[in-house]
Amino acid sequence: MVDEKKARRTTLDPAVADLLEGMQQRQAEAQMPKSERERLARERAKIQARRDQRATYDLPPAIREGIRVLAEELHLPASQLATLALARFLIDYQNGSVELAQYKQPSRSPRYDWNLIFPDELIMTLARKKKG
Amino acid sequence: MIFAFANQKGGVGKTTTAVTLADGLARMKKRTLLVDLDPQGHLALSFGLEKSAGLYRLVCLDEPLSEVVQSVRPNLDLVTGDKQTEKVKRQITLADFRESILSDMLAASDYDAVLLDMAPSLDVLHLNGLIAADWVVIPTRLDALAIDGVKEILNTMAEISQSGHRYRGYSILPTFFDRTTRETLIQFEEITRVFGKAVWPPVPQDTRVRETAAYGQTLWEYSPGSAAIGGYVESRQHLGGYRQVLGRLLEVIDGG
Repeated sequence: MVDEKKARRTTLDPAVADLLEGMQQRQAEAQMPKSERERLARERAKIQARRDQRATYDLPPAIREGIRVLAEELHLPASQLATLALARFLIDYQNGSVELAQYKQPSRSPRYDWNLIFPDELIMTLARKKKG
Repeated sequence: MIFAFANQKGGVGKTTTAVTLADGLARMKKRTLLVDLDPQGHLALSFGLEKSAGLYRLVCLDEPLSEVVQSVRPNLDLVTGDKQTEKVKRQITLADFRESILSDMLAASDYDAVLLDMAPSLDVLHLNGLIAADWVVIPTRLDALAIDGVKEILNTMAEISQSGHRYRGYSILPTFFDRTTRETLIQFEEITRVFGKAVWPPVPQDTRVRETAAYGQTLWEYSPGSAAIGGYVESRQHLGGYRQVLGRLLEVIDGG
């Protein structure tokens, strides 16, 4: 069955639809009991706080899978493992123990001067370990 | 491409919208002409100039457009208006082919965009503006009286269309938008239900807008970080505001 509300929204300017939805949501919340409004406000604050901790990077699937498998094995959140991995990398880089020059290739993109081109074995090692 | 900014209801933000979008287009390197069709002559004041009889010289004294325009900003020219604009109406009323006089005068211009700031009235000059326009932008407050003005403009456009004029489209621009009031929500739901995609993202109410004219500056100059320019920020997303409206206008100009 067609969701009438959604079908109508597709005919609106996207910014208008988003704004209208937010206003309707706030209006609906204003009708709720105080305790419910406070619960929603707490949830929103939590989501807002979490948003600042989020980032999106393109990763080779083998790395993403490696983190997922390890997190399952150790019964840990994958985000925390990724945080540890990145923190270790940044410390190593600041100590001078990571050398990027071997991976650097000039970029043709107007946004970047360089790309990092990784040797196949770097990623394949992970993939093999995963299978093993 | 000729845009008319029209609403028979006064005080809905026609002049501010025309000035802000014209300056925005000019900043995007579009050669833009702004024409004051209102005898109040407020466009000149908005750019820190004195009112003058630009439209009167163009229509009644037959001076060429290139000599009448004033360059007010890079890429932005202005045809001013003042109380002499009332004489323009009388002259047009007595002329042959009176409905298309403005359209004929602007036809030869080579601007990327021409923006007509219309008076809140329904007279022969208003009709000329609507006939010259390819696209009509209807700024409106979200209250019942202003929305009635929207319906009146659309009725007039429908009558003009019946006589053979082809509009490329129209847009309704909610102004003085206050998302915290229940009345705004009710009216916003109503116009989006009736007019759908023709409703452009609204411009938030912002005291900065009132201050700009007093300084003879545009909003981009006086307060580029204001809510009226940037809109509401939700989840890192900007909703509404003149910057987003400018994007919609550019889509129309570039045929997007």
